[in-house]
Amino acid sequence: MPERIAIVGASLAGGTAAATLRDQGFEGEIVLIGEEPQPPYERPPLSKEYLRGEEPFERALVRPEGFWAEAGITLRTGERAEALDLEGRTVRLAGGDEVPFDRLLLTTGGVNRRLPVPGADLGNVLDLRTVADADRIRAAMPEARSVVVVGMGFIGAEVAASLRQSGLDVTVIEVFSTALVRALGAEVGRTVEAFHRDEGVVMRFDDGVEAFEGDGRVERVRTKAGDAVECDLAVVGVGIRPATELAEAAGLKVDDGIVVDERCRTSAEGVYAAGDVARHDHPIAGGPIRVEHWNNAIKQGEAAARSMLGVGEPYADVHWFWSDQFDHNLQYAGFHGDHAELVVRGSLEERRFAAFYLNGGKLTGVASLDWPRDVRRAQRLIAAGVSPDPAALRDPEVDLRTLVPD
Amino acid sequence: MSWTRVGKAGEVRDGDIRTYFIGDRRIAVARDGDALYAFDDECRHQRCSLSDGDVEDGTVMCPCHAGTYDLTTGAVVSGPPPEPIGVYPVAEEDDELRIEVDGA
Repeated sequence: MPERIAIVGASLAGGTAAATLRDQGFEGEIVLIGEEPQPPYERPPLSKEYLRGEEPFERALVRPEGFWAEAGITLRTGERAEALDLEGRTVRLAGGDEVPFDRLLLTTGGVNRRLPVPGADLGNVLDLRTVADADRIRAAMPEARSVVVVGMGFIGAEVAASLRQSGLDVTVIEVFSTALVRALGAEVGRTVEAFHRDEGVVMRFDDGVEAFEGDGRVERVRTKAGDAVECDLAVVGVGIRPATELAEAAGLKVDDGIVVDERCRTSAEGVYAAGDVARHDHPIAGGPIRVEHWNNAIKQGEAAARSMLGVGEPYADVHWFWSDQFDHNLQYAGFHGDHAELVVRGSLEERRFAAFYLNGGKLTGVASLDWPRDVRRAQRLIAAGVSPDPAALRDPEVDLRTLVPD
Repeated sequence: MSWTRVGKAGEVRDGDIRTYFIGDRRIAVARDGDALYAFDDECRHQRCSLSDGDVEDGTVMCPCHAGTYDLTTGAVVSGPPPEPIGVYPVAEEDDELRIEVDGA
């Protein structure tokens, strides 16, 4: 049994793991180290309710503020971990302190990708990952009239929706042919594109940013197609890279993320990883995957905590997430591969559907738009590895629960 | 407190959730095996309809953001809802489905 557990990354995954250790009866020392000054919080509201000023920050906290002290968990927030000493079993902080551990969990998350273009460092060219980032966007909003959002993945689409709802003129620039192509495929992506257009979002697909231009502050975006889009604010949402620097420097195996096995164990004894940064050998997904969603941060954080205490089991959750944009609820569960066949229950045209992804007949994913009921049910079918009759999937009268094998 | 007849006994089938209006309140009734539950249909988080979710092990999970409520107490078991939902006594008697709601 370990006596001292250090967690680097006071995030949703890290905070959940710390709380889970206590739930599991671990009575030793837990030190949770985080670079941001805030206690662990959830990021989904940052592009939605929090960005629009509808909900206070406190609503996003992973646990109420007093929880950590009560649970005897030492929060070292506002402190950067500088190096891991796996021989000496310590984490060295930027201030010089050393935090000893028997077991170490890395939940270091990701770092926003930046656009390598001229003018990316102009004022009001912002991005979004932390609450400080969200505050910078909020501070710029009252003065701004028109905004360019770069990228129409989930962050771009949600930010575009929130800024539009806040009364700004929004133009999205996206290199792919429609919204959310990489995550959901073009057919589902086009339905998201359609409701954004209805809400007045201008979208420029198959185009990219050549340069941000302006005098100290962004005034226009020059696109690869040669156009200039006037704006007084730009928000870049072009994905993250996993924050693997500490792990790499310590000699852990890294391959687009910290490589972990089914039980969240890295290549080094007693060192674990979870959340956005972990490339996990998922038992069902058919290979190592790295997942950047809320639900995985919680579930994988819990799984890693149990694993550190030796009571773990292979982590085999079917990944699930949602994205609220305007008044639409979009969800996805699973891990469909490329070239999946799409079977639709409901209607893409009417933008109310559950879309099932089949790879070689096997159900591997489900996306829904304002059709939430069948996501959970399909999740079970994906976990069970079944190849349902496409006609049954298409027919809204068929209860998906009846398709689960006994 | 008073019992209100909302439907026929047995019309909520095993595994189903149906909704009924009592005044302007939308109440969901679910059957899970031998258990029958009545609760507010509207999730306290973002007002999604809980009857679009599924009942399991005495809980209902909101289909939109996975907020999960205990159906005996209404308490939030996990997820984002800031407060509990109302739960109500429900019974099947004399071939009727009845819910007890105060002030109805």
